[in-house]
Amino acid sequence: MSFYVRRILFYVITLWAAVSLNFLLPRLLPGDPAAIMLGKLRRANGGRPLSEETIRGITSMLGAEKGMTLWDQYIAYWGRILQGDLGVSSTRYPAPVLELIGAALPWTVMLVGVATVLSFVLGIAAGAWVGWKRGTWVDHLVPATTFLQSIPYFWLALVLVAVLSVQMGVLPIIGGYDVFDFPGGPEWSWAFFSSTIVHAILPALTIVISSVGGWLLGMRNMMVQTMSEDYVVTAEAKGLTPSRIRTRYAARNAVIPSLAGFGIALGFVVAGSIVTEQVFSYPGIGKLMIQSVQGLDYSLMQGVFLVITLTVLAANFLMELIYGFIDPRVRHRG
Amino acid sequence: MTGRRKRLSMMFAAGAAALALTLTGCAGGADGGSGGSGASDKPLRVWSGSMTPINNNFSPFAVDTAAHFTFGPIYEPLFFFNQLSADPPTGLIGDKYSYSEDGTVLTITIKADQKWSDGTALTAKDVAFTFGYGSNKDPEMVSVEATDDTTVVITYSAPKFTAASLILGSTWMIPEHIWKDIKDYTVETNQKPVGSGPYVLKSFTDAAYTVEANPNYRDGAPAVKTVQVIGIDSNQSSEDLLKTGKIDWVGQFIANPDAITAGGRISTLNQQQDPTTMLTCSTVALGCTGPQTDPAVRQAINLAIDRGAISDKAFAGLSGVASPSFALLPRDEKWLSDPALAKSPQEANIAEAGSTLEAAGYTKGSDGFYGKDGKAIELDLFSPDGWTDYNDAAKLISEQAAKAGIRINNRTVSEAEYWTPLANGNFQMALYGVTQSLVADPYSTYERYFSTPATAKVGSEPTKGQNYARYTNDIVDAAVKTASATEDEGIKKEAYAKIQTEIARDLPYIPVVLNASQAFFNTKDFTGWPSEKDLYAAPLPYLSTASAIVLTHLKPAK
Amino acid sequence: MADNTSPEVPVRTGPTPTSTLAAIRIAKTDRTRRPLPRISGKLLTGIIIVVVISLFGILAPFFVQDPRFSGNDALLPPGDGHILGTTKLGYDVFAQLAWGTRGSLFVGVVAGGLALLLAILFGVLAGYFGGVLDEVLTLITNIMLVIPGLPLVMVIAAYVQHTEGLGAFARSSLLVAIVLGITGWAGSAVVLRATAKSLRMRDYVAAARVAGEKPLRVIFVEILPNLVPLLAAQLIFGVIFAILGEAGLSYLGLGPTGSITLGTMLNDAQTGQAVGSQAWWWFVPPGALIALLGTGLSLINFAIDEVVNPKLRLAPQAARNQRKARRAGRSVSENGAIA
Repeated sequence: MSFYVRRILFYVITLWAAVSLNFLLPRLLPGDPAAIMLGKLRRANGGRPLSEETIRGITSMLGAEKGMTLWDQYIAYWGRILQGDLGVSSTRYPAPVLELIGAALPWTVMLVGVATVLSFVLGIAAGAWVGWKRGTWVDHLVPATTFLQSIPYFWLALVLVAVLSVQMGVLPIIGGYDVFDFPGGPEWSWAFFSSTIVHAILPALTIVISSVGGWLLGMRNMMVQTMSEDYVVTAEAKGLTPSRIRTRYAARNAVIPSLAGFGIALGFVVAGSIVTEQVFSYPGIGKLMIQSVQGLDYSLMQGVFLVITLTVLAANFLMELIYGFIDPRVRHRG
Repeated sequence: MTGRRKRLSMMFAAGAAALALTLTGCAGGADGGSGGSGASDKPLRVWSGSMTPINNNFSPFAVDTAAHFTFGPIYEPLFFFNQLSADPPTGLIGDKYSYSEDGTVLTITIKADQKWSDGTALTAKDVAFTFGYGSNKDPEMVSVEATDDTTVVITYSAPKFTAASLILGSTWMIPEHIWKDIKDYTVETNQKPVGSGPYVLKSFTDAAYTVEANPNYRDGAPAVKTVQVIGIDSNQSSEDLLKTGKIDWVGQFIANPDAITAGGRISTLNQQQDPTTMLTCSTVALGCTGPQTDPAVRQAINLAIDRGAISDKAFAGLSGVASPSFALLPRDEKWLSDPALAKSPQEANIAEAGSTLEAAGYTKGSDGFYGKDGKAIELDLFSPDGWTDYNDAAKLISEQAAKAGIRINNRTVSEAEYWTPLANGNFQMALYGVTQSLVADPYSTYERYFSTPATAKVGSEPTKGQNYARYTNDIVDAAVKTASATEDEGIKKEAYAKIQTEIARDLPYIPVVLNASQAFFNTKDFTGWPSEKDLYAAPLPYLSTASAIVLTHLKPAK
Repeated sequence: MADNTSPEVPVRTGPTPTSTLAAIRIAKTDRTRRPLPRISGKLLTGIIIVVVISLFGILAPFFVQDPRFSGNDALLPPGDGHILGTTKLGYDVFAQLAWGTRGSLFVGVVAGGLALLLAILFGVLAGYFGGVLDEVLTLITNIMLVIPGLPLVMVIAAYVQHTEGLGAFARSSLLVAIVLGITGWAGSAVVLRATAKSLRMRDYVAAARVAGEKPLRVIFVEILPNLVPLLAAQLIFGVIFAILGEAGLSYLGLGPTGSITLGTMLNDAQTGQAVGSQAWWWFVPPGALIALLGTGLSLINFAIDEVVNPKLRLAPQAARNQRKARRAGRSVSENGAIA
């Protein structure tokens, strides 16, 4: 069990580090984000004075309160975070940050989740095949996938939209669902569900195209190495059928390191999805992040950063649990 | 988008606009016919510039953050001031108004038998309540009173001749029976708005909201029954949606409008009205520093830039010609004192720019740049990130000025950081959009941007007006005062002539171009849009009130 | 043992997915017997692409028009005088591309180099010294590894770029490179740590230590030279990461607007409505060049991977030989049947 204790401890420390970074960044750098934010809020408020409470809230989120030591500020900051108080957005004044994130998060989790799993499965399957067919013409496909990986996400997305949506008109241009067919917003119906699927195709495709190469390559290389391991050679010598060797012996062992990397890769996919969401006006959290950065909406920016980090950490933790379950060695070695 | 809205928040017709209605049968790939069989209940789909997630806020007091259709389609002012014409304002809730001789008492009569969208009667009491509520309350207002069901009398401590468009044209009427219970209007998001406008909110999501015809509207429910306002995050997406027949009405910059109108579904109207200028911090006495405080430097820059190239490249040839008089031509033709002030120079005149500087004691250094007393001129010019036309114009200006030996360093800042230095005066030069006066009289431009009461020392913000240039000139101040206290055209003209001479020479705002405002709308499925011949309102969906006026004129095509 | 370290440390999947294993491989291979890099087709292609693009970025700016000369007509398609046409402002796209390539390479090299330095600092020191230092450095590394990169870069960039008093530096490519560098080192550090840890156990390193060599000397003289292929691979990965990262930041409006890079070019094209104006010559080349450069660098990484991990090269070779032999055998018997 000490494995799990250590991992949990690690994630707690990481979480603490992320929150502390969030606290420190605006305070370490010269300049006064709190003043910028208050100025913005005043403008958003039509130039009228802000309430005392709002001002106090913003300064404790972002800047030094007069007469408080850094430590006291830090404690107060944690207090707010633990109460789930992430402040008020200035670009969407007076909407609370938590509310904005709550509405956006499910979309991103779905899009990124499905795209990552899809990319993983495709990459692993293709990688296993290419690794199996090592030494044939298929090997030349591998370098080609690096080209896909090197295309900037947003550039790919814009090209896909221009070709598939505008020129050919087969896929929607923006949104998470068809706002024209569902003016009332999300509803529990098959039609709505299929609309979300159709709208997710292009953003997901962008993510898959850009990330599938990494999985493919990793799997292929592991496969090639596994195929020359003694136990595979033995299996071949025993006369087992190639398909049995391929799936039961080689691929099964080769996939383990890829699983371990799943959580980390998620971080990259999240990064890509931020940009992709912007191109497609996808109602996810990445777009909030971008808008907050562009509008210098520090409360929203910090809130989104925290939530993204939290989500990625949770996904990582989940993967580690699964991985520890699949590969017992992990649990027992130091 | 807020920035764009700010820049284009008001507009006038000027110069020729290109109404390109090219009917070519085939529109490569564009699905122009999505609404052919739509009948009369086809919703009109609009992008008014909102990004997703759209704020669920319909408070008429949330000027910057409320949904666009709060202003006009849902809540109305008393009168509509058409920025495109010199005609008197059109009555909405209001019927007529009059000032007392000294301009301190304003008597407003409203139309009889009006209702709020919830069926409650709309009377003069609501109007009186509105003027006394929240930020509508003018510190100079002495009293406001509903003398009967249709008459409101407002008394001020100072003449309010020049504030008519503000009081009557952009104060949003609210129902007393609802707002009397709302204590803090600043945090109210008013998600179930009850207004008097032609539309009522039907449904809201953060991706789009829908308004439907208000059956209680005083002129009867409008012909277009449903209007959907959607959120889009980029001009590119909006252009794509327009091209593929998904949306019907937008007001945005499109560099290549022919590609949109080629399908025959969409028509366009381009108008130029708000001057884009180089704002300079101009007065040393108010704390400005830098070479631009010398009028000779400003004059030299004015001569050195090639406005034709800027208009062609940065504004895709869609912008208009700016006038150093800051009168909007031809609308304000009668106020222009000297025809020489009709246009800023359209070509660079490097020789004259150089001689202007040399006359003022500047000499050219060995590096080809001018300086004085061993100190080279070096100016800082900034524009907000993502306002592409401004960014591009700034690049060109910096380049053109260099040719004339004036060093201008161009940079971009985020929109959030753009406004603070302007308001506080901590800048040398910035590209800046001056907002034209609402009515066919440049008075408010002169008062808001050029008079001393509208400015402040560097370090503090002007409390009224936007004289960010820190320009102060006794002749201008006296002339503004003269003009404000009279309705006599002759006296006004004389005053304006003085102002125009002063500001065209001093150039605290160096005019660059008149900004273009392009509108694109579906003329295949909807009729009644404003046209070059009938500019009853500006066809821009992000404009308050004007958008509502356009909507009530529309009819589904047969 | 080296093998023990690998499963615990999550492997980064990306252009160097087998690096950890490669690292182990280095540790196992006696350094005197390490095969010389064989110039494979992949390596050759990669080197050619990277060298050509680098030369283009280094030399071409001396020969092209001023990339900010707006005197040309706007939006000219490729043709006479302008190989790749002009932009909306009349800038020559080819000239912009030349300068942009230089700018992107600069960002890539500076960020990649910085990331590599940090990775050495965190990875090699941790692996070599072990103990508490290792625990602390590894913890920091792992934290950096799991905190999602781009959002962190965005947050840091937003704060730094809006810090007052930075002047032109706030929007310079150097600042962007630094931000990308300090956020992009963790993956490499993990790999380097694993290798350093195992190298520490090698006889010659142990001998040097016993002989009383100072730790830093051991690291620089005995360990780092052995890591060269691995360091090269990490540097290349860092460069790709930074070039793509810069493009992404530029698209989000956080790029070095004061300089010309491929990213800012793409951003200009995008905000200048190049797609709507069908100005493909403005929009396509910078994106394609980024993709091409990334491909070239990845191909070199491939080759390095095969050097440090011979199985990747030898196994397909063996399979190929086997098949060849089988085919040869068959043809013999066929011939025999005919005869």
